Amino acid sequence: MSEQQTPDTTLPVKESLFKRYENLTVFSIFASFVAIVVLVQLISTGGSRFPTFISPVNIVNILQQVAVPGMVAVSMTMVMISGGIDLSVGMLASLVSIIVSLGISKWGFGVWPSIGLGVVSAVVLETIMGFIISRTSVEPFIITLGGMISFQGIALLLCNSREVVMKGELDFLTTNLLQGARDPVTGLILRIPPYVLVFFLIALVGGLALTYTKYGRRIYAVGTNRRAAFLAGINVPNIRLFVYTIQGLLVGIGATMLLARINTGIITLGQGLEIDTIAMVVIGGTALSGGRGNIVGTLIGVFFLGSIANAMNLLRLPSEVQFLAKGLVVIVAVSAGDVSSRLSEFWALKREQANARIAAATAKKGGANEPGNVQADMQDSSV
Amino acid sequence: MDEILHLSHISRTFPGVRALQDISFDLKRGEVHCLCGENGAGKSTLIKILSGAYQPDEGGQIFFNGKEVSLTPLAALKMGIHTIYQEHIVFDALSVTENIFAGKEITRWGLQQRKEMRRQTEEVLRYLKSDLSPDMRMSALTSGQQKIVEIAKALVSKGNVIILDEPTASFSSKEIDTVLDIVKTIRQNGIGVIYISHHLEEIFKIGDRATVLRDGRKVSSYPIAGLSKTTLIKDMVGRDPSSFYKRERVKRGEPVLEVRNVTGNGARNVSFTLRRGEVLGIAGMVGSGRSELLEVLFGSAPLVYGEIAINGRLVKQSSPASAIRNKMCFITEDRQATGLFLPKSIAENVVVANMANTRNVIELPTHAVATGEKYVKLLSIKAPSARTQVVNLSGGNQQKVVLGKWFNTGGEIYLFDEPSRGIDVGSKQEIYKVMVDLLKGGKAIVMVSSDMPEVISMSDRVIVFKGGEIAGELTGERITEENILTLSIGDRKE
Repeated sequence: MSEQQTPDTTLPVKESLFKRYENLTVFSIFASFVAIVVLVQLISTGGSRFPTFISPVNIVNILQQVAVPGMVAVSMTMVMISGGIDLSVGMLASLVSIIVSLGISKWGFGVWPSIGLGVVSAVVLETIMGFIISRTSVEPFIITLGGMISFQGIALLLCNSREVVMKGELDFLTTNLLQGARDPVTGLILRIPPYVLVFFLIALVGGLALTYTKYGRRIYAVGTNRRAAFLAGINVPNIRLFVYTIQGLLVGIGATMLLARINTGIITLGQGLEIDTIAMVVIGGTALSGGRGNIVGTLIGVFFLGSIANAMNLLRLPSEVQFLAKGLVVIVAVSAGDVSSRLSEFWALKREQANARIAAATAKKGGANEPGNVQADMQDSSV
Repeated sequence: MDEILHLSHISRTFPGVRALQDISFDLKRGEVHCLCGENGAGKSTLIKILSGAYQPDEGGQIFFNGKEVSLTPLAALKMGIHTIYQEHIVFDALSVTENIFAGKEITRWGLQQRKEMRRQTEEVLRYLKSDLSPDMRMSALTSGQQKIVEIAKALVSKGNVIILDEPTASFSSKEIDTVLDIVKTIRQNGIGVIYISHHLEEIFKIGDRATVLRDGRKVSSYPIAGLSKTTLIKDMVGRDPSSFYKRERVKRGEPVLEVRNVTGNGARNVSFTLRRGEVLGIAGMVGSGRSELLEVLFGSAPLVYGEIAINGRLVKQSSPASAIRNKMCFITEDRQATGLFLPKSIAENVVVANMANTRNVIELPTHAVATGEKYVKLLSIKAPSARTQVVNLSGGNQQKVVLGKWFNTGGEIYLFDEPSRGIDVGSKQEIYKVMVDLLKGGKAIVMVSSDMPEVISMSDRVIVFKGGEIAGELTGERITEENILTLSIGDRKE
């Protein structure tokens, strides 16, 4: 049957700012969160002290905490834009940390070969999962769930369920790049380790690749409409495989950075990483169904989620509250867009109803004055 | 025989289209009443009104057993009006018994009476002379056997009227005979059957009466006894060809696409040659394997046997990507599901297919927007800019975006599947004009269409499909509705 013939004049007249800039909703929620924390700090100190939440040393602190989940969130964004998901990143990170630490402290491979081995294993394992996901119609959720459990198994087998302590061989990854710099506000030492820069570099390259390269655009196409992408000449299976390979690479790098911070390869190292990164990505506006999202949004998600625990601390709230706060932030950030569009639809309907009532009332008046008015007569009879 | 169902002066309007106009129709107990008509004649709309899915416009009346009723899906089922659609609506993982009683399980104190349900199923299957077991899983049955289960389901719930929409499409001839025998059996039980089929021989085998629809109007109604096939076909056609779109003819050039004995995806042994500057129309009933052939040509379904040559060189279309590199374009039937990225911008939609042709890794958004703007202007797409989301466009403008996507690949062979489906009249003519412009530029078009006026006015040659094979080819003056229809619904080849 023929579909409705929309007159060509009914084009989107005015788009709201929130619709035009897709990251604006999350950004404004994040900004209000920051503003509230700062305000509370100002009030509690009577405005006598600079709010510690936005002091340089605290910001640098937060950066150190979010750098590793942030790296993984970049590739998770790509996976999710392509319509997939990856639950295995946490356990994979633990596995990599155990491989690298064993390589260095037990197998005696040397630092760089061990790191290489860890990263390559992550890439290979993710690629295997990607291969299965892209060549079959099994849900990525299931495959990566299976991956997560098996990676845990491999890791525990390798380390005999024990932790692998190193002697600081990876300390060069945590050296302070800002030797001697001090926070002008608090006077504390500012620390920027290399992995924070690596995180920014990865986010930059990832963001540019998604927006400005053919492969980036193809990831969006595959996530939006797989069948149409296939018919437009895109090798859909390979694109879906490729995002998992990238995921493996970034998990490998990220896990090495985490290991450098903790100096111990241990099964709990990556615990909860998958939950955190998925939360960061969805806060940033990436759709679970694929096709929508971007790295800038993900970065907002990374900083937002990463600063919650820190803020709770500064506000002297019990640390248990942070889970509740994180959960609420995920729910609010993800439903905000939908709620606001529903609200605007509701108000548009109200306006339309009011206009229609006015129109009906004037028509009725006109009908009473001119009894011959056919249109008004018809409306009268229908009322 | 008493009248069980009577429709008088039924019309149904959709925005911009009158799907049914002043239809009167009746059905007696124990009768098989066949509905005939081309694609889009209004048969489906009529049965949707009978099943309660659509409400008729004001002024029409429906009588059931002499009483006026208004039909909703639930009311229709309560009166025992069962519609069995072309596509199966079954629960694959459940057994025959569970399918038959889905939603109306026999229970006692909330517990299922499995034995009783099984017994009734067995009884009805025996009555239908079927050898199916009540315990078989639905997924293990052929589509013909699933159809039998659906008929059994209607019988178990005391059906009065059974509507069969294309029950035999894609069946083997043995399965067709089984279904026809079952229809004869249930008719003897005083049930009224409305039977829709594209296959005239079935209608003549089991029908008591035939009603012909054309363009939403009832043309005629005959008892089958003494009726000839030619009369029926004449009534189904009969539009005035002078009202069709007049297209400019273009001088034909050298052959660009040669298809030899192509078999696969339901198409069998198809051969033709396409020349530059020519539209080859492919007509036939829905489900006759036309779109399936295009899929094979475009590499999105596997070629089982045969050869495809482009510009005299044999090509291997292993995927759409290779087809695009061989300068082929495929404007699919369902543009929203398979042709467009609806939430994305015009620009992004337009540049996506040409990526298969380029080695560039960098794909600048600004370049995409510039390309998008070019096609917005060239095809006069009604949109504020190339950044507009495609989902906000009307059907005609969406189709133009699809065209822009393929123009951008520099393709030469255009496969159109239903080029103007769901498009208003104005945009339709614009699309036709664009197609003629393509021909002038030395391109060639294969066009699958179920819209008769479109096939007749746009095609230089027409091949008619039936059961996945070419039933005949028509050229010049011989391209008429009557000839196309005779070829597409004529006797089934055994």
